[in-house]
Amino acid sequence: MDVLSQLQRQLADFLAPLYREGFVDDQFTQLQKLQDESSPDFVMEVVSLFFEDCEKLVNNMAKALEQQVVDFKQVDSHVHQLKGSSSSIGAARIKNVCIAFKTFCEAQNREGCLRCLQQVNHEYTQLKANLQTLFTLERQIVAAGGSVPAMQ
Amino acid sequence: MQMMQGNIWISLNPLGFAQGMTLVLWFQIRPSYGRAIFAPGTSSEQPNSNSQFRGLSVILADDDHVNRTVTKKLLEKLGCEVTAVSSGFECLSALSSAENSFMLVVLDLQMPEMDGFEVATRIRKFRSCNWPLIIAVTASAEDNVWERCLQMGMNGVIRKPVLLQAMEDELRRVLQRAGEGL
Repeated sequence: MDVLSQLQRQLADFLAPLYREGFVDDQFTQLQKLQDESSPDFVMEVVSLFFEDCEKLVNNMAKALEQQVVDFKQVDSHVHQLKGSSSSIGAARIKNVCIAFKTFCEAQNREGCLRCLQQVNHEYTQLKANLQTLFTLERQIVAAGGSVPAMQ
Repeated sequence: MQMMQGNIWISLNPLGFAQGMTLVLWFQIRPSYGRAIFAPGTSSEQPNSNSQFRGLSVILADDDHVNRTVTKKLLEKLGCEVTAVSSGFECLSALSSAENSFMLVVLDLQMPEMDGFEVATRIRKFRSCNWPLIIAVTASAEDNVWERCLQMGMNGVIRKPVLLQAMEDELRRVLQRAGEGL
């Protein structure tokens, strides 16, 4: 098997469990479909944007939850935003944590919220690492003369 | 349509297929109506990108940066010319600016400060005709959202997260209805 085929196989093998384990969903596939010659780094750019926003939102949520009197409406609006953006890029696990997170906000349950926040952090870290590996693999494929996305 | 002293006809692309319908609209109100003309074959776009909506000038209003980037790309993929703004205020001021002639507004319903419903109401207030067309984007799964949107004078609704096919279908439906109703 030549280098390119090997790399493409590697990519497919890496991508499959990401979908299976719910790290990404169909919306992520959608994103890849939007990438083309006119914007070859579209997915990476949007994902970077998402991670930046995610970090900011997590920080804001943490601050809000540290307060003596927690403004749950404020926290909820941050969660709502994170839910929306994670949903639109296909970050399924993060989106799902947000759904649970919202319930705790509505119940004004600080402990529950803090647990969800921790989970969001965890999922975010994992997803970031996974996608970075994905992008590295894709770059290698392009460097070897292939094209991405390999999954059509 | 007579009231707007415009004209509307349906012409088939010389190839007869794949390009679908070519919709040409002229507005007396705006001097730049020539921009609404479709020009098949003049573009350097890849053949696999959708050119049904080529030339459709759209203003996209969504306060979330990620969503705005994704939806903008999606609309561009369908051939639209997109101006993206991040609030209801910016949307309204872009629409009232004399040089602009947008045919469609894609509006996130859940924006802070001024939500999509408010924006739509104001648009319909200062423009007595049915243009621009308005398509709402909402995360809500409630059935009465569609009714509420219609009451506000909107022309279509799309659920989040936005899918390419869903947007394409809704755009086509809204444009067809706009053509029929005149």
